[in-house]
Amino acid sequence: MRILAPAGFHASALTRRKVRWTPLLFLAPYLFLFITLRLAPSAIGLFISFTNWSAVGAPKWVGLANYQALFIDPRFRDALTNTVIFTAMAVPALVGLGLAFALFLNQPYQGRGLGRVAVFTPYVIMPTVVGVLWTWILEKDFGLLNVLLGRQIPWLVSPSWAMLGLVLAAVWSMVGYNTVLFLAGLQDIPSELYEAARIDGANAWRSFWSLTLPLLAPTAFLVLMLTFINTFQVFDLVYVMTSGGPGTSTLTLVQYVYTTAFQFFKFGYGSAVAMVIFVILVIIALIQTRAYRRGLESIY
Amino acid sequence: MQTSKLYRKWMSLLLIVAMLGAGCAAPVAAPAGETTAAQPAAPQGVVTLEFWGGWTGPDANTMQSIVDRYNAEHPNVQVNLSMQAWSPLFDAFIATSSAGSAPDILAMHPQELAQFVHLGLILPLDEIIANSKVIKPENYLENAWEGNKVDGRLYGIPLDLHMHGLYYNKAAFERAGVPVPPPTPPITQDKFMEIAKRLTIDANGKSAAEEGFDANNIVQYAINAHTNHHAFFQWWSLYNQLGGKLISDDGKSCAMDLDKATQAWQFLQDLVYVHKVAPQGQTDYPRDFLDGRTAMLVDGPWRIPQLEQAAAESGFQWGAAQYPNIFGGEFAVWGSGHNFTLPSKADPNKQAAAVAFLEWMAANSAEWAKSGQLPAFKAIMESEEFQQMEGRAPFIASMPYEKLFPATPKYNEIFASNAPTPMMVMAQRIMLEAADPAVEVKTACETISAILAAP
Repeated sequence: MRILAPAGFHASALTRRKVRWTPLLFLAPYLFLFITLRLAPSAIGLFISFTNWSAVGAPKWVGLANYQALFIDPRFRDALTNTVIFTAMAVPALVGLGLAFALFLNQPYQGRGLGRVAVFTPYVIMPTVVGVLWTWILEKDFGLLNVLLGRQIPWLVSPSWAMLGLVLAAVWSMVGYNTVLFLAGLQDIPSELYEAARIDGANAWRSFWSLTLPLLAPTAFLVLMLTFINTFQVFDLVYVMTSGGPGTSTLTLVQYVYTTAFQFFKFGYGSAVAMVIFVILVIIALIQTRAYRRGLESIY
Repeated sequence: MQTSKLYRKWMSLLLIVAMLGAGCAAPVAAPAGETTAAQPAAPQGVVTLEFWGGWTGPDANTMQSIVDRYNAEHPNVQVNLSMQAWSPLFDAFIATSSAGSAPDILAMHPQELAQFVHLGLILPLDEIIANSKVIKPENYLENAWEGNKVDGRLYGIPLDLHMHGLYYNKAAFERAGVPVPPPTPPITQDKFMEIAKRLTIDANGKSAAEEGFDANNIVQYAINAHTNHHAFFQWWSLYNQLGGKLISDDGKSCAMDLDKATQAWQFLQDLVYVHKVAPQGQTDYPRDFLDGRTAMLVDGPWRIPQLEQAAAESGFQWGAAQYPNIFGGEFAVWGSGHNFTLPSKADPNKQAAAVAFLEWMAANSAEWAKSGQLPAFKAIMESEEFQQMEGRAPFIASMPYEKLFPATPKYNEIFASNAPTPMMVMAQRIMLEAADPAVEVKTACETISAILAAP
């Protein structure tokens, strides 16, 4: 009996599935680069994390010694604490402000295009340049920010203020990207829905809460994940502005990897720290994905 | 026309190959940050030498013009000078060495020698220069020559020395009616504190030595207070004036005299927090000196070209003195220098040409002194031309008293200035956070011992 089926679906066990070469060929260049520049070095890094290696000579196997050293290393603890604090301050600001800017810039009014450019432009400036720029802005005696505030806050030279200064610079430079993503998400929501809501008597706040937010959920999830992953791995901005100082008050995890591997020539230990960062990020990503799925189920 | 599947498949393949080909043919840009002079291709029969150095800024131009002169005078040798900042330079050096090749000549600082010796990346030089008529111990300042030895063997050929000195603003001293410090000898603690108090002025024109001085309204400080690695350079000067040691003889633990270390830090910290003669949280020391915010500046001879330029442009009147001898014992001042090494993975056939270049460099580098550095080669250092250069006298007088950081394979882990090393953490906690020096030196010493004890 011949089974009628949609094109591409082969119900009969006797028919071979056609291998689709074209997509594979298009993916091939990216896959090649991904495997050679990302996957393979990561696997090698995992191997190196179980060795002592100073980049000269052969690596020396030491098993879990690097990981054991990690757990009692006060510098690692400082780096982890600082990174968590930085992320906890920067992520809500980046996501919240990104959404706020997007909502604002989605309204039709004069100069909206200029507003979008203004919000996005900091994002295209290289982080190292942003770092140098904000080092000047945050200068204690003559920096722009202190002049505007009328105070002499010791931004980057005080352990209590340095982190906040870094967060300001990071949020200023990265919020544009989130704004663009949120704008795209907002524009995906059909305007008929808002009209229908208005007809049903919903005010602006109700529309936002019951219509905009739930429909923005996929975009918000994406923005939150990307922002978290990027913020957790901050390096160039902090390195340029404070090099982890004063003392160790702004030392971040990725900077610690760089310092250990490329300044102290301890590649094994640096790789171990990098592996720990990876595991933390995977766990957070899994938690976020699960929370998102549960949240979706409760809406739909 | 319906395109056949085969046709589409081949077009896709062609497109992919074209994209890959375009990617591979894209010109390979020079690594970011590297400043390399245009390198003309060497004709046949010419020996090319790769020379790596970490000078950036005006230093780089001076070294490049010296190398250009050598290339012009020696048509059968071409020296290619590559420069980028020291930290990425050493990264590149290690990377290329582990791939089996290295530059023919590598510049660095004496305190960094031990870690490269430990990695086996630079050659011992005693035999290589044994027959040289130019590179001999008697032709160099003893301090510089000895500082380039690790475990008694020579690994670096000294180029120059530099150390801290004390610059002063002549106009500020005149206004306060205070005589300027002499170029030599170094002033004592009493003299220094007297000057410091009389040159710290508040908004009402009162100095810190007078009654009614308002410490909350200071418009001019006597001296700068480093918050970067130069803070622990200054501590090193003071600690050595007290006669302290840092690393045990076997190189495996910290041998710091905690009392003397604390005393040295306390002096620096008190300048800011007790006597209020130096600003807190300072970041741009040369600018503050040129702007008149501080009347004196602790810095090295590399600052001289900038001061000469300020003098020419706006009539800024400056002078130089030796770093003060605060603790009265034998004078000591932090110092370092530049040197040349011969990497072990370089082409051995080019070694003779490399040594010849370094011999020429030693004898002909009077031009290098223009960058503010102090030549370690006696003939140049003792030449009248050099001795007459403005502002050099205090630094020349300090040369024999220069104290280098100890040579240890763990140099970077203990002393690196852009990483959370025990030295940086100690310096910043004491100078920026007013932490208790006794506690901080103890913590630093324990960390240093842990670093030295690790394999």
